[in-house]
Amino acid sequence: MDKMNVKKILSVITNQRAVLAIVITLIVVAFNNNNFFTIYNMKTMLTTSSIYLIIGFGATIVLVAGGVDLSIGFNMSVSGVLAVYLMNNNVPISLAVLCALIFGGIVGAINGYIVVYQKTEPFIITLGMGISLLGLGRLITNARPIVAENKAFLNISNGMIFGERLNLIYFTIIMFAVVHYILRYTSFGRNLYAIGGDYEVAEYSGINVRANKFYAFVLSGVIAALGGVLLASKFGTGNANYGLTTGFVIYSAVVVGGTSFAGGIGSVPRSAIGLIFVYGVLQNAMNMLRVNSYTQMVMTGIIIATVIALDSYSRKRIREKV
Amino acid sequence: MDNKNNNIILSIQDVEKSFPGVKALDQVSIEIERGEVHGLVGENGAGKSTLMKILSGVLKKDAGTIIFDGAVVHHTSPVESQRMGMSIIYQELNLVHTMSVGENVFLGRFKEMGGMRGTHTKAKTLLDSIGANLDTYQLVDELSVSEKQMVEIAKALSFESKLIIMDEPSSSLTQDEMDKLIAVIKQLKEKGITIIYISHKLDEIFELCNRVTIMRDGHVIDTQLTTDITRNEMIAKMVGRTIENEFPERPKCDGEVLLEVKSLNTHKLKNVSFELRKGEILGFVGLVGAGRTEIVRAIFGADQVKGHEILIDGKVVKIKNPKDAMNAGLALVTEDRKQQGLVLSFTVEKNVSMASLDRLSKFGILNKSKEKDMAQRQVKGLNVKTPTILTKVSSLSGGNQQKVVLGGWLETGPRVLILDEPTRGIDVGAKYEIYLLMKEIAESGGAIILISSELPEVLNMSNRVLTVYEGRITGEFDPLKTTPDHIMRNALGMGEEEQNNDQAN
Repeated sequence: MDKMNVKKILSVITNQRAVLAIVITLIVVAFNNNNFFTIYNMKTMLTTSSIYLIIGFGATIVLVAGGVDLSIGFNMSVSGVLAVYLMNNNVPISLAVLCALIFGGIVGAINGYIVVYQKTEPFIITLGMGISLLGLGRLITNARPIVAENKAFLNISNGMIFGERLNLIYFTIIMFAVVHYILRYTSFGRNLYAIGGDYEVAEYSGINVRANKFYAFVLSGVIAALGGVLLASKFGTGNANYGLTTGFVIYSAVVVGGTSFAGGIGSVPRSAIGLIFVYGVLQNAMNMLRVNSYTQMVMTGIIIATVIALDSYSRKRIREKV
Repeated sequence: MDNKNNNIILSIQDVEKSFPGVKALDQVSIEIERGEVHGLVGENGAGKSTLMKILSGVLKKDAGTIIFDGAVVHHTSPVESQRMGMSIIYQELNLVHTMSVGENVFLGRFKEMGGMRGTHTKAKTLLDSIGANLDTYQLVDELSVSEKQMVEIAKALSFESKLIIMDEPSSSLTQDEMDKLIAVIKQLKEKGITIIYISHKLDEIFELCNRVTIMRDGHVIDTQLTTDITRNEMIAKMVGRTIENEFPERPKCDGEVLLEVKSLNTHKLKNVSFELRKGEILGFVGLVGAGRTEIVRAIFGADQVKGHEILIDGKVVKIKNPKDAMNAGLALVTEDRKQQGLVLSFTVEKNVSMASLDRLSKFGILNKSKEKDMAQRQVKGLNVKTPTILTKVSSLSGGNQQKVVLGGWLETGPRVLILDEPTRGIDVGAKYEIYLLMKEIAESGGAIILISSELPEVLNMSNRVLTVYEGRITGEFDPLKTTPDHIMRNALGMGEEEQNNDQAN
């Protein structure tokens, strides 16, 4: 009886690993720093992680469909660069932003076309795309950050609404709702789960597997570009070097949240928790504890690996049950 | 007394095992005699697999004792049980597909075998000893299921196993391959090797086994000499009730032509043409690999085919992919339900609705309450045993999984239902329910194409039987007016010989 309960608790713990990781981090910080649990700090935490949350929601779409798009980080930086570059060349803000989003969509479409219709390994294809994008971004900017001359552009991310500068958080909430709705309440979303769960079964069930998966990549691309525009607006600059590790860390965070790397399993809320942990709580906590930024990188990697190892442990237990 | 103990190679005493919410094994006791072939039968979920997993060390027992060859067994891993002389050949064979036959036989023991050359020589000797003529350098991936089984048996022999457990070895074999397996089992028996033979096919149990143990709901119901029990008694003990007939009466069929397939040609198929009438069950008989599956895949648009013609109600329809096929009123329940029929990470509900999402949504937005109704309707109608519709299909038994697949297709309102091995690995009770369902579909104006390796199933369910051999249709028969032998001969490509002989006479 007792043994049963312990097992139950253990399985809950491993299933809710991201939540648990957040709680542990919070406890550790709470004992060491008084400034952590302030409203100000919470806002900071959400604001800093918001852009990555948004891009991570896009990544979730692709991951659920059994794909992976590692070019999202570079897509983000180049789209931001493109928006700033166009504005500095007298293109109106709205048009520049639209162009950036379309650019992101095209990048996603190319990824999707090669992966889905040419049946290639998404990991390599999107990594190759990412490298090309990095080069493209550096070509446009001469490898230097370019500053947005039109200061109105900064209002997208930093504008004042209801007396608060929380635009990024509003954007995150909207994108959370939109992507969650798509995955959960539309046939397109359900098709993606089926495709990621079992490609052949989905095809035999009359689902247009190729088109659906293709659009998942396109969406992910557009959302990455949206993240890029928000990032450029936040800092007032376009910088080709922003997204070097972004793709990897976002995907790790999404998997930490509980979306399966193998596809078919996952959700936006789960991803959100993983992303908040990695980009918000963990980074903020380490800043509060004055951990050196290189040590932070080391720690982030180790913690991500540990949490995912825990997951594999819990799944091993599930397998034994059958 | 001593003598008696010596006669028992494996003694399972009061073994118990519980999973959360289920008692999988309750005071299970079985004694296996040295050198016998011991059958183990029971419906899915009876506890056979759990017992085997405990024997192999994959699962730990909660209580009880296991004595193997005079020693109490405490092992905790498959490797240890193998070293003790107990090997299990699982239904899903455990071979590394990217490695050669020889490497698989001695996996992890190349050094002890004297390097790769020694490995291949010794593997060849072992394979020859069971009459399996295989090239040890061939990749396992290129072998047929029955050849892979031979490799597994050779592997078991390489451990000098005294006991080999075979978990449904025949489920994907053709009759011909089955005969080979029977021969090998008889050879093993002569060598003094004990075999536990798990199967749903009772004919095999009677043919191969000295004794048989029947399990139901985690209990051992009975152990009998196979000469002391009849087939019907065995079935009654398995299901806990008497089943009058294994098959319902076949549907009456006198309708007009519903589906017409004309000159289907692929690299494997040669000029396949046939008709299907309303209310008919049309059976396809042939060896695995004869082209039965290819025929239905081609019709369903799963494989690319050119130059053929498909007519439904006399009108030509273009089928380029499974979606077109569905729109034309076809449904395909594939041979391998785990690989091609179900998304295992999905709930029962989502699997049922998967092929009907278009109909369940408006402007791409899913109507969840309609979806729920649909799943509940099928679960109730097909008597699917599942805690709720939100249970994952992966936790259901084979029979219930198959019902979920069928339920999903029934919701698409198919006019032609194609069933490829619909009862493979399914227990007797669930089989009967599926047969009844087939009859119901046929009688309500639909039609069914039935592919099955179990000859009795095809012959008892079909109105008409077509034999397929090497991608051609070699004969058309009325199963009521033909002997099974005659049909089988045509499926083996020997029908033409016969005709020639007849003409000569």
